[in-house]
Amino acid sequence: MKTQRPGWMFLLLWLAAGAGAWALLIYPIYVIRPFRHQGARELLIALSVMRYRPIGMILAVGGMLAAVVWYWRMEHRKWRRFFSTVGVLTVAAAALLSRINIYELMFHPAGTPVVAAATESKLDGGEMVIAVKVDGAARAYPIRSMSYHHIYNDVVAGEPIVATY
Amino acid sequence: MIDGLRLTFHLAGINNQNFLMRDEQTGSYWQQISGRAVSGPMAGRSLTLVPSDELSFKLWKSEEPQGTVVRDVAAYAREYSPENWDVDMAKARTVLSFPEHGMKQRDIVMGVQAFGASRAFRYDALLREKLVMDHVGLEPVMIAVGPDNASIRIFRRHISGVDPAPDFYRVEGQSALFIDAATGSGWNFQGCAISGKLKGACLERVETIKDYWFDWRNYHPDTTIFAGTRAAH
Repeated sequence: MKTQRPGWMFLLLWLAAGAGAWALLIYPIYVIRPFRHQGARELLIALSVMRYRPIGMILAVGGMLAAVVWYWRMEHRKWRRFFSTVGVLTVAAAALLSRINIYELMFHPAGTPVVAAATESKLDGGEMVIAVKVDGAARAYPIRSMSYHHIYNDVVAGEPIVATY
Repeated sequence: MIDGLRLTFHLAGINNQNFLMRDEQTGSYWQQISGRAVSGPMAGRSLTLVPSDELSFKLWKSEEPQGTVVRDVAAYAREYSPENWDVDMAKARTVLSFPEHGMKQRDIVMGVQAFGASRAFRYDALLREKLVMDHVGLEPVMIAVGPDNASIRIFRRHISGVDPAPDFYRVEGQSALFIDAATGSGWNFQGCAISGKLKGACLERVETIKDYWFDWRNYHPDTTIFAGTRAAH
């Protein structure tokens, strides 16, 4: 069966998939941005969107790939084929960007902590540290580096701990 | 660690200026202040809090000469904030506002949640008074500033065989930092008696979180405030 208006059909699909994919990408960024008040409900919705959106993105990109294959069979004009491909890429771009967490780029992770003996450390005596003691092993996290990295995934006396600031 | 699963955390979002951590293993999101998962497969679970102290390096080193210090990450050390970064931070905008008890949103408090109550001790008042006898709920506690005039610890004033809970007084120029009014024993900043009748006894520590007022108040709506026993100068 031959569809009369494959262009319109494809355009509608693109609008639906594109709007969906970009909404999934942007909504959590909009809600979870610094210097904005986060309501309890919208925060949970935003986090749920982030949790389940890979499924939405796979559907959107998969749907667009199927649509473009279908469209190319119907349509032989080069520029229309070109724009349909660009359409697929705009949806794929949202899917790829959704794999990146801006916060994880903004705040540089510290990696595995490297430690020095208290007696060898060059730290100024007046600098504040967060101190913990696990099974008799004492460890200090200088506040100045904690206020930059915010998180240390560490192991003290064999016990995995996370130090946060 | 949860159920034998070792989690690795990343800073992955913000919730009213208290950050959210994502764990690599399950993709759950955790609130920093509470250690509780708010979304994802681990939602509702909590991490076990490791007791911690905020101390000056000098004081910590004197107590823990065998301890280890986490080194700066060389690639980023140049970007670390200067030592007085908190001065600028105090001016940063907040998205929550609890204009109660004359508190400014970024006033720093030592928050205690224990004994069925929440209480916030103004950091500046503690530094000014050095040693404070107070209660959290019905429990007598004392808040002590260390010999470095910067580190703060909170203890229960409970000593077995000593009833009622004694007051403590700060002493200068001795190896002990304070003495108790009941026996006159001398105590150090670790909360242990180092001289007198009670020598060898140790006070129980009370966990505290150093936090901005708005953040503490957001998670502890019933908190009371200690603003000082004497007027600020």
